[in-house]
Amino acid sequence: MPTAFPLPSDLSPATVTNTASLLRIVALALISGAAIASRLFAVINFESIIHEFDPWFNYRATRVLAAKGFYEFWNWFDPTAWYPLGRVVGGTVYPGLMATSGVIYNFLHALNLPVDIRNICVMLAPGFSALTAWATYMFTKEMKDESAGLLAAAFIGIVPGYISRSVAGSYDNEAIAIFLLMFTFYCWIKALKLGSALFGTLAAVFYFYMVAAWGGYVFITNMIPLHGLVLILMGRFTSRLYVAYSSWYVIGTLSSMQVPFVGFQPVSTSEHMAALGVFGLLQIVAFVQLVRSHVSSKQFQDLLFVVLVTAGLVGFAAFIGLTYKGAIAPWTGRFYSLWDTGYAKKHIPIIASVSEHQPTAWPSFFMDLQFLIFLFPAGVILCFHQLRDEHVFVIIYAVMASYFAGVMVRLMLTLTPVVCVASAVAFSTLLDTYVDAAEPDDAEAPADSATPSESGAAAKKTKKAAAATPSSSGSALSDLVAAAVPNKKKGIYGLDTRFAIIVNAIGMLAFFVFHCTWATSSAYSSPSVVLASQNPDGSQHIIDDFREAYYWLRQNTPETAVVMSWWDYGYQIAGMADRPTLVDNNTWNNTHIATVGKAMSSSEEVAYPILRKHDVDYVLVIFGGLLGYSGDDINKFLWMVRIAQGVWPEEIQEPNYFTPQGEYRVDEHASPAMKNSLMYKMSYYRFSELFGGGPSTDRVRNQQIPKVGPTLDYLDEAYTTDNWIVRIYQVRSEDLLGRDLKSANAFAQGKKRKRSKPMSRRRPIV
Amino acid sequence: MLSFCTFVLFFLSLSGLLHAKSSHGDSVLVVVEEVHKKDYSIFFDGLKEQGYELTFRAPKDEKPVVSEHDVPSFAHIIILASESKNFAKDITPQSLVELLSGGTNLILALSTKQTALSSLAAEFSLILPPPSTPLVSFFPERKDPPTVIPISAPASSLILSPKLAPVWFSGAAHALGNNPFLVPILRAPTESFAADTDSGADALVDATEKGGEGFWAGSQLSVATGFQALGGARVTWVGGVDLFSDKFAKKEVSKGVKSGNTQFARDVAAWTFQESLVLRIDSTTHHLVNTTTPPEQYTTNDNIVYSAHISRFNPSKSTWEPYSGIKDMQLEFTMLDPHIRTALLPVPGSPGKYSVTFRAPDRHGVFKFVIDYKRKGWTHLHSSTTVALVPPRHDGYPRFLSAAWPYYAGAISTSVGFFLFSAAWLAGESREKKAKAKAQ
Repeated sequence: MPTAFPLPSDLSPATVTNTASLLRIVALALISGAAIASRLFAVINFESIIHEFDPWFNYRATRVLAAKGFYEFWNWFDPTAWYPLGRVVGGTVYPGLMATSGVIYNFLHALNLPVDIRNICVMLAPGFSALTAWATYMFTKEMKDESAGLLAAAFIGIVPGYISRSVAGSYDNEAIAIFLLMFTFYCWIKALKLGSALFGTLAAVFYFYMVAAWGGYVFITNMIPLHGLVLILMGRFTSRLYVAYSSWYVIGTLSSMQVPFVGFQPVSTSEHMAALGVFGLLQIVAFVQLVRSHVSSKQFQDLLFVVLVTAGLVGFAAFIGLTYKGAIAPWTGRFYSLWDTGYAKKHIPIIASVSEHQPTAWPSFFMDLQFLIFLFPAGVILCFHQLRDEHVFVIIYAVMASYFAGVMVRLMLTLTPVVCVASAVAFSTLLDTYVDAAEPDDAEAPADSATPSESGAAAKKTKKAAAATPSSSGSALSDLVAAAVPNKKKGIYGLDTRFAIIVNAIGMLAFFVFHCTWATSSAYSSPSVVLASQNPDGSQHIIDDFREAYYWLRQNTPETAVVMSWWDYGYQIAGMADRPTLVDNNTWNNTHIATVGKAMSSSEEVAYPILRKHDVDYVLVIFGGLLGYSGDDINKFLWMVRIAQGVWPEEIQEPNYFTPQGEYRVDEHASPAMKNSLMYKMSYYRFSELFGGGPSTDRVRNQQIPKVGPTLDYLDEAYTTDNWIVRIYQVRSEDLLGRDLKSANAFAQGKKRKRSKPMSRRRPIV
Repeated sequence: MLSFCTFVLFFLSLSGLLHAKSSHGDSVLVVVEEVHKKDYSIFFDGLKEQGYELTFRAPKDEKPVVSEHDVPSFAHIIILASESKNFAKDITPQSLVELLSGGTNLILALSTKQTALSSLAAEFSLILPPPSTPLVSFFPERKDPPTVIPISAPASSLILSPKLAPVWFSGAAHALGNNPFLVPILRAPTESFAADTDSGADALVDATEKGGEGFWAGSQLSVATGFQALGGARVTWVGGVDLFSDKFAKKEVSKGVKSGNTQFARDVAAWTFQESLVLRIDSTTHHLVNTTTPPEQYTTNDNIVYSAHISRFNPSKSTWEPYSGIKDMQLEFTMLDPHIRTALLPVPGSPGKYSVTFRAPDRHGVFKFVIDYKRKGWTHLHSSTTVALVPPRHDGYPRFLSAAWPYYAGAISTSVGFFLFSAAWLAGESREKKAKAKAQ
């Protein structure tokens, strides 16, 4: 029995099993702990605060849910959003996230644990990341074995690609959605393997939870049918597939239609038609199988051909016809932009303007996944080796998710789980091969010269490895025996090769941990509501202009004061300043956003009637020119122009905002349309005064602002924060004497008015 | 005792008579040159009789100031120093506009000379003729110089008393711009024109050339013009200061007919100082039909009752009295644009109450009840109440629809079919087992 190192032979099978399961439980607990702990950087570096933009709305909605109950939340009409259109929140929101927090909140309060709803919201994402690790473990276990599962759980626990959307305070739909995604897939695989209607139903239930939680549920809606279709085409139709798919589809679709925001979409939009089509196909195939068992094979083939061709043609014609008639909604713009990355830029600037919807840059793959990205293809190839039904699923998932992640930055999130699963399969295969003590038959004498201590350590390792080796036949003992039995033709000789590979592998793991910690703490833990910079001595300097401005609004303006800003800041104003806003991050009404874009990009005289019509009291702009904060409104300005141009092509034209040389400038060469625009004026109003006559430089665009800055007639500067990041302007009320405000302002400054003549009552004779 | 009571009663009634009748306040600052003060004694005495407290100040005096710490010191200001080139520091066109925003009412007299007030007039959309071109009229034939003109009051005017005798006027007229807040009080006679009286017959030609096509002539000119500012303050511009003088007040228009100047000055002051034609909205309420309290929000297609209570100031009693005389008021139910615009009519039987019932539009959003009543001469009425109009609640829709019976039938038949199938299946299963059992 040639082994590379001695194996203990006096262990009872029960001991091995028990130790292995204990180690698994401990490992999973540690992984959960690591997953939660690494997400707390945001709380430690900053504070327990809700991050970014969308989470502020979710937080606000959750507070309503916690305070007023579910029915009031369902019927919640928010008159302060999209003023004056209002927003029917109950019908336009995925309520899963808020409902989850609400349930946790009520549960804790029922236990007399008075936890603040904000802390639940902040800590929800880390908590669910631990569950994601567990779900990934279960999923990967189905692919290979427990050891691969543990590796996958560890990977997903700390991989930056997932942490970026689930740090503490990142209270967004994705926080719970990835867990639901993985668990639904696990249930689906389990249902498919067992042909179990129970697991199919379970998959449907979690699918429903997913539908209620995230718009990305469409990914599941198309992944599972695609898997089913591929299996059918591969000739792998089984009654297990039929049972699993039918139970999932019927229950899942019916329950998903109960979410008010989804409604009848599952039977009326193109995105959901694949699931319906595969469901129909399965019925046909099942029927065909039934027929085949009753008729002869020649007749059957003719019949099959005719039936398939007719059914296919009829189905396709029906689909086209219904789409044409409008019964099935055509693909939405967001969907088109998945296939043609230039589509959004051409047709729907509002989608293209979101940075999350930009194509992914190559370095971000390495940034988000590190060494997993080059283990990932190896894992996919290993799936081809075995190619059971579930491996087909991973392969399809890998192909689809890779494509989508390349198209949109935001979809990196759906790629991450499959990368973790495939890499874990590859990595665990590597470890299995090299930790395995068995040597090929024709081996020379094993390297017994290894020191006792070394072999002792190796033996420990073997124990673990043995516990984690494939368990397809059931017990760990048989694996141990199988591994020890010298029946191999190929294998690894000696300890040195093993040692080199394993040290290398452990080194990769160690670097991965370092990379993840670094990426999490430095790149993904910023709340973006609070900015941080470094003082010359290395200490942290907090820039808190956003909250300063929002609290100013909250404490110095009447509660009904309408605030206009670009839509990025709508949720934050509603959440922190508690004031009505014109547009917010729920970009459902393009015209309303274009109206704001038009007001921002036109001259004061044109903008003023728009502001008055919408009862705007305050206008808020973000200006980074003083501090060098590049995410400011002047940098976003062209999107405002483009979106406004989409609705008013005669009045707003993008080329007018460039210099004749085609440059985007804000200095003295800026185009007249640029200089007269409300946005430019509000950004640079009194900016040059700050430099006391010296050259006034915009640090974001590195351009010098003219010494004679813009003047404002229709707005008054109300508040500018410490670092000038947020500037708030008050809209003047109409003039007392019915003049336009420009001449009223000129009068107030003592300028002489031109003499006018009485209007002529007669027409001149020509 | 009785005599004491009668004395008190008499005193009270006297004080009531003498009490200021303005709805806004009774302190008046008169800016007039010390030497000219006695020229307007009839006008001033009339005001004092009404109960106004007059404070006099020469144009160049520093005290009393018109406003202190941005709070106006007087309710009304009359500036009769039309010839003064220079005023004290606190009386500038800008500060006068500032006073208007604080609610101070102004009577301003212009002259044929170019002064600081002429530049202010332009802000009120008054278009003044070139300097030194007084209003001239040779009709009707009279002994007075052509610049002293008797002007008959319009036949019907909200501001002026009815059957007012012609008013003597001397000074510059002004043309009116297209500002809707202007309220013409007295137009120039049709035969009159603005001309330079010193340069003989060429005056007309010169004036035409200076003025161009629309030259200053005829009834398009105005000699006294009111202005109702947005904040509620009122301003009256008078073309010549002599209109208020004792000389013109005593001057006869024709044999035995006294001029209307005294009454005209009284009427103009009454309007400017917010005695007459003053309205206010006391309260507005809205609620559903058959309820009384306003709900937090309305549902689409609700039937809504909106009512407003409007009072008018009664100067003779100096009280606010419910007023039901408005027949042309409208209510708008607005979100960006008015979705509903309907007449808001007085309710017969309840004075001062205006009410309308309407069905809310089938469109959710944040709506406003808007009353925007602006009529020349009257106080502007404006009221805006914001309410949310929400879609029906989840249980606010009808439960069963007769149109949906095909679907109900489908669901029921499927359920029944499933039940029957299950029953048949279970029965079949047991038979098979029995068959197997038999076989064994």
